[in-house]
Amino acid sequence: MEKEHRKRIVFNELRKRTVWFIRLRWWVPPAVGAGVFAAQALGFEFNLLPLLLIAVFILLYNAVFYLVRSRIGESREGREEAVRRFTYYQVVFDYVAMFLLVHFTGGAASPFIFFFIFHVVFTSILLRPVWAYVFAGFASAGMALIATAEYYGWLAHHPVVYEATAIDLAGHPSHMFVELLFFTASVFIAAFITTAIMRQLRIRILALDRSAAAVVELNEKLGALYRMIQAIGSKLRLTEVLEPVCDNLTRVMDVKALSVKLLNGSGKLLKYAAACGLPESLALNNSIILEKSPLNRRIIEGESFVTGNISQQEMFQFGEDLAAEGLKSVLFVPLKVEGKVIGILGGYCIEVDRFKQEDVDFFQQAADLLAIAIENARAYESIEKLEEERTRFMMRVAHNLRAPLNAALSILNVVREGYMGDLEAEQEEYLRRVDRRARTMRSMINELITLASSRSGSREIEKKPVDLGELAGRLQRSFQDAAARKDLEYHVSIPGEFPKVMGDREMLEQMLENLVSNAIKYTPEGSIRVDFAREAQEQVCIRVSDTGIGIPQKDLSGLFSYFFRAENARAIEAIGNGLGLAIVKEIVNKHGGTIRVESAEGEGTSFIVILPIGGVETSDGSGD
Amino acid sequence: MANKDILLVDDDPDIRDSLRIVLEKEGYQVRTASNGTQALKELEKQRPALMILDIMMATDTEGFDLAFDLRERPEFEGMPIVLLTSFLDKVREEGPDQFQHILGEEWPAKWLFEKPVDTKRLLEKIDAILAGE
Repeated sequence: MEKEHRKRIVFNELRKRTVWFIRLRWWVPPAVGAGVFAAQALGFEFNLLPLLLIAVFILLYNAVFYLVRSRIGESREGREEAVRRFTYYQVVFDYVAMFLLVHFTGGAASPFIFFFIFHVVFTSILLRPVWAYVFAGFASAGMALIATAEYYGWLAHHPVVYEATAIDLAGHPSHMFVELLFFTASVFIAAFITTAIMRQLRIRILALDRSAAAVVELNEKLGALYRMIQAIGSKLRLTEVLEPVCDNLTRVMDVKALSVKLLNGSGKLLKYAAACGLPESLALNNSIILEKSPLNRRIIEGESFVTGNISQQEMFQFGEDLAAEGLKSVLFVPLKVEGKVIGILGGYCIEVDRFKQEDVDFFQQAADLLAIAIENARAYESIEKLEEERTRFMMRVAHNLRAPLNAALSILNVVREGYMGDLEAEQEEYLRRVDRRARTMRSMINELITLASSRSGSREIEKKPVDLGELAGRLQRSFQDAAARKDLEYHVSIPGEFPKVMGDREMLEQMLENLVSNAIKYTPEGSIRVDFAREAQEQVCIRVSDTGIGIPQKDLSGLFSYFFRAENARAIEAIGNGLGLAIVKEIVNKHGGTIRVESAEGEGTSFIVILPIGGVETSDGSGD
Repeated sequence: MANKDILLVDDDPDIRDSLRIVLEKEGYQVRTASNGTQALKELEKQRPALMILDIMMATDTEGFDLAFDLRERPEFEGMPIVLLTSFLDKVREEGPDQFQHILGEEWPAKWLFEKPVDTKRLLEKIDAILAGE
């Protein structure tokens, strides 16, 4: 894989440079043209036409290269070879152009011969080192051939003439020989130096790429650890923790499979809590008896286990399924929290010798975090379960209390209604008292049930738009009689166009009922008012005020806790359970609202509930 | 008005007794049953003029089960039923509506009372139902 990656980098480099080579060549024809005219202007004499034709030739073949460049290396196989071949063609064409240039500008004496050095440099950049030498050889051999052919007259000689003198070596073979010798040396030295530099450069590029990849990998690993920390911080159920963490780790570690095995309560069995990428049969059926598995026992004792080529015997301990999957490398680390091992985190790979020391270290770090997350989730789950059990218990107790009470009330009713014979006034009076106390007890039990069910998940708040106007109407009707019996003025007022509030209608109604019935209970004379008002910032305010006994300053703080009753409340009304306001508070909280109380002993009390409207249109088009 | 036979189904003997006493005093013939099976037996003996049924008996849903069974039995079609419950937080209000979920809209007489039953209102309702209201 690594090799593949390196090849890709080299290929991309090559391709980029090839294109660059073409771009560079665009400058050659104009440069030749300009040079030729400049030389003529300066008084050099030579054959103008061939040089211009050569410039055109270069322009043409470069155009062809430019057009086909994008199609080079399209197919995946051998595309590197294709790009290389493309480069050979370019160099070959360049050589042809160069030899022609040299030939028409004086052969061995041509000033162009040193341009071959550029080509050697390019070749060593673009192609394998050996090709730099091959092309260096071509250049010197080609030059030797041209010089020889022109010297012996096999080829026409085109010297450059300046002030009637030919700039030429034609008459000096030894000169020419030395010149060509040094030219050969120059191109080979250029090839040597540039290939050496390029080799270094290639190594650097690959090293850079490797460290970039390492940084990316490290970043991913840190990301994975971070996500695990997030999982620790959030109150999640065990499965909600395990699944994302396992997926995440599988990806980051680049493993085939991952498993989390957890010790059971007795510490004798290991059970799969998660198995990502393992055969299902393995994860489902299995608990591992620790005594029978020395390998797992070793890990539970705190050692990590890593192998790069799993043996038959070891395989047997993990299960045949693993063998079927063709797994070779496995890595197990203990899941340890506060010094106690709670399970095993395992990673599995098909490749041999996959896990290096740094993988083991990282895996252990991940395991440490995962262990904390698992412990947290377990703690959360057990608290939740406890809460559920408590609620269920409360409900059962309440229901069981209610049945005999209903029976007793039913029988009492028969007696009081005279079905068992007429009662004397005094008997009637005492049975009335029994009835009253029993009914109070019944309402207490009912409130307990409401409380238990409102605390349990079964009574989650169900938010819908609630018409407070309708609610206010009901509130007025249901307490009218109770207030009238005590000669209390009772009035519920709500503005005509009142916004609907997002909330649970039943809960809101119960909350207001509790507040109003309290007000009636603790107001010997005077009046009770419920005022609905629109507040700023998308809120409504409901104020329940009475002219009752008020609440002593010292009792204000405990007012909303369960089973709390203010001292003067006990004095005036012996019966009461201290649940009403706790329920009120809970309902207000569930609606994201606030409640506060203003009270003066002997003057009265006001409860002020502020509720958010919560995303309901304020006036639902009451205009149309 | 000739048939004043009432079947009273409740698993609580004290509730049964107290209601039976009241109903008998008012001139009804009262048969009682303490569970769904017994109730079905009594129903099969003779169709009563009205049945009073506790919707939650020992198994919690027995009263409901019986009511559902009756929907499938054409011979009991239209038999008035008065339901008793002690769980008004689940079936929220006393009154006629609650029957709709249990017996279907087409069942003629339907009323729900919370325990302990206000016997005056119970008698009024039974009178009204039997008078063919």
